[in-house]
Amino acid sequence: MIRNKPSIHLYHNAGDDKLIKEICAGMEEEGVPFEISAYTDSNVDSLCYEASKTSVLGVGIGIIDYLVAIQMSPLPKGKNLFQVNHPTSIQARLLGMNAARAVKRMPFKPI
Amino acid sequence: MKLIAGVDIGNSTTEVCIAQMDSEGRMRFLSSSSRATTGTKGTIANTAGIINGLEVAMERIGKNVKELSLICINEAAPVIGDTAMETITETIITESSMIGHNPSTPAGAGQATGTILYMQHLEDGKTGIPYIVVASSKYSYESIAETINSYAKKLSIVGMILQADEAVLVENRLEQKIPIVDEVKYVEKIPEGIQAAIEVALVGQSIRMLSNPYGIATLLKLDANETKKVTPIAKSLIGKQSAVVIKTPFEHVKENKLPAGEIYFLGDSKTSVNVDAGADKIMEVLSQTGKINDISGQSGTNVGNMLRNIKKGMGELTKEEASEIKITDILAVDTLAPVQIFGALAGETCMEKAVGVAAMVKTKQLPMEKIAEELKKRLHIYVKVAGVEAVMASLGALTTPGTKLPLAILDLGGGSTDAAIINENGSVVTTHKAGAGELVSMLIQTELSLSTRHIAEEIKKYPLAKVESLYHMRLENGAIHFFEEPIEPKYFGNVVLLHPDKMIILEDDIPMEKIVAVRREVKKKVFVRNAMRALIEVAPEHNLRNIENVVLVGGSAQDFEVPEMLMEEFANYKIVCGRGNIRAIEGPRNAVATGLVMSYIGERHD
Repeated sequence: MIRNKPSIHLYHNAGDDKLIKEICAGMEEEGVPFEISAYTDSNVDSLCYEASKTSVLGVGIGIIDYLVAIQMSPLPKGKNLFQVNHPTSIQARLLGMNAARAVKRMPFKPI
Repeated sequence: MKLIAGVDIGNSTTEVCIAQMDSEGRMRFLSSSSRATTGTKGTIANTAGIINGLEVAMERIGKNVKELSLICINEAAPVIGDTAMETITETIITESSMIGHNPSTPAGAGQATGTILYMQHLEDGKTGIPYIVVASSKYSYESIAETINSYAKKLSIVGMILQADEAVLVENRLEQKIPIVDEVKYVEKIPEGIQAAIEVALVGQSIRMLSNPYGIATLLKLDANETKKVTPIAKSLIGKQSAVVIKTPFEHVKENKLPAGEIYFLGDSKTSVNVDAGADKIMEVLSQTGKINDISGQSGTNVGNMLRNIKKGMGELTKEEASEIKITDILAVDTLAPVQIFGALAGETCMEKAVGVAAMVKTKQLPMEKIAEELKKRLHIYVKVAGVEAVMASLGALTTPGTKLPLAILDLGGGSTDAAIINENGSVVTTHKAGAGELVSMLIQTELSLSTRHIAEEIKKYPLAKVESLYHMRLENGAIHFFEEPIEPKYFGNVVLLHPDKMIILEDDIPMEKIVAVRREVKKKVFVRNAMRALIEVAPEHNLRNIENVVLVGGSAQDFEVPEMLMEEFANYKIVCGRGNIRAIEGPRNAVATGLVMSYIGERHD
C-alpha cells in the first residue's frame, strides 16, 4: 500500500490548474493534508468516489475540467456531498475548506 | 341531549373542550382543541381565537358550532405578568479598541507588541521599530507572504492582522514565524501608527496575556490607573483563541458608572434591599415583608428604570395610568447579561452580573362579560361566565387518574406560576406568583447572547443533539441516534434542536454542553423557586409537609424536563407530584376548560 498517509485525495482528469490551486489553498488553510493524482476516468461520480474510498480520512475530491465533486465515505456512489460546475475562485476555496471540514467534523461553509 | 363547551382563555393559548349531557344528566367528553389566543387576554379580540377553537373541536366530532347549546368561559384571574432585565453591577465603559474573536484557523502562536502599519505603507517603515502589519483581503496570501519575506530583512515585523481567512496560508509561506490573527472584518477601522498587542493561543488553549489585565499592562506598558481601565477588555477576551488590543491615548478613555440602586417593598411593613445583594437576598426581604401592595425602585438607577418601565408597559396594555399600576409580586433571578464594549472593532461583548425580574401586576377585573356578549352576538348561543380560574383548574385536575382530595395544583403558565389547594369540603385557597415560562425564555436569551427571543423559546422547548457524521448524531444525554439515509450536508457538524417535525440548526456557535447547562439552570431558578413559594403560601399552616398530592397543569407542565425537576425537589417532602393527565387523555392541558363544564353540570344537580 503506497498511500497510507492520512490525507484527502484529489483525483482529477484534466482539472484546471487555477481551480486545483484554490481548492488546495482551502484545505491548507484548514490544516488538512492532501494528495493530488491525475486519472483518465471521465465520470466525476466514480472519480470522487474512488478518491474517498482510497483516502484514510474517507474524503475525496474529483475534478474533470471545471467540474468539482466531493465525496465522503460511506456515502453511496453518485450521492456526492457537493458538486459544482465552473466554481468561482471563492467557491473553489470554500469547496476545499469544506472537504477539510468534513474530516474535522465541523459545520460546512455555505457555497 | 345537549352539547356544552368549556373555554379557557390563557395568556398564550385558548383551550376548548366539548362535552355531551344526556337527559339523565350523565356527561361524556367528546372533543377538545387548543388555539393561540388572539389579542391580549381579557379583551374582545379574544373572540376570534375562541370561535376558531370551537370550530376545530366541533369539526373533530363531525358537528357544527351552531349545534352547541351552551358555552362556559372562565373568570380569568386579574393578573398579568411582564419581564425585564438590567445589569446591576457598576458598569465601567472604557473607550479603547480591541478585537477578540475565535477564527477557526489563526496561525503561529505567542504574543507580540508593535506599531500598527498598513501593508501598503511598508516602504515608510523605519528600522528598529517593531511593527504589526495589517493586510486587507485585496492582497492574496501569496503576495502578502512574498512582501513580508522581502521586508523582513529591513524591518522588524512581529505580527500580522488579516482580513481574509488566510492566516495558515500566509504563515506556511513565511520564513520567520509570527503570530497572525485573521478573519478581522473591519481591518480599515484599525488606526495606523499606534501601539497594539496581538496574541494567538497555543493549540488547544486560549489566550493568556491579553485576557489578563496585568498581561495587557506588561505588553502595552500601562500604569496602575490605566490597567484598572482595561479590566473589562481583559474580561471580555477570556476564552478566545486570538486577540488584538489597541492602546488608545489615555485622555480618550471614558468612564461611566451606573449605580445599582435599591428596591422598595411597600406592604404590611416598608422594607428595602440593594440590588447588589443578589437575587436570594431580594427574595428573602420580599418574603419577610408579608403582603405586598406595591414595589418600586430608587429613581435614577438601573433597577428604578426597570420597574418604572414595567409599570409603563402594563399601563399601556390595560389602559390605566402608570401611577395606578401596582406591582404585587416579583421574582428576581441572578443572571449574566452581555454588555457591548465601547470601541470593540467586531461587536465584542463582556458578560456582566445582572438581575432578571418577572413582575406581576394586579389589574381591574378583566372584562369577561364583554367577551361573552360578543360571542353571544356572533354565534347566537348562550354564553355563561362562570367560575374562578384556579377553582376550575383544580376541578379539571381532579380528573387525572390517581388523584384525591385534598389536592394541590401548580399551574405553570407563561406569565405566572399559580397554586391552589382544594379541600374535601370544596374550599379553595389560591395564589399567583410572578415568573414562569416567559422569564425562562428571557434568561436563556440573555445568558447565551442569542439574537432572537424566538430561538430562545425553541431551546427551552426541545432537546439538543450534535450531528457528528452524515449518518449519526449524539443526543444531549450521550445516546447515539443513527439515520437510515445520509442527512443533508447543511446539518453536518452542527448543534441541532430536535423539533418533532424537523431539526433546527442553531446558528449561534455555542457548545451543546453549555446550552444544556444554561437551559437546565434557568428552568430550576425560575420554576423550582416559584413552585416552592407558591405552594408554601397555600399550604395549610404554610408547611409543605401538609400537602400530599401536587398535580402540575398548564403550558409549561408540558416541558420535557421541568416536571421531573419539580418531582425530584418535592420528593424531599414526601409529596406525590407529577404532570397532570386531564380526563386521562389531555395531558396537563385543558384543566380549566374541563373544570368549567364539570362545574356547570354539577351545579344543575345539586
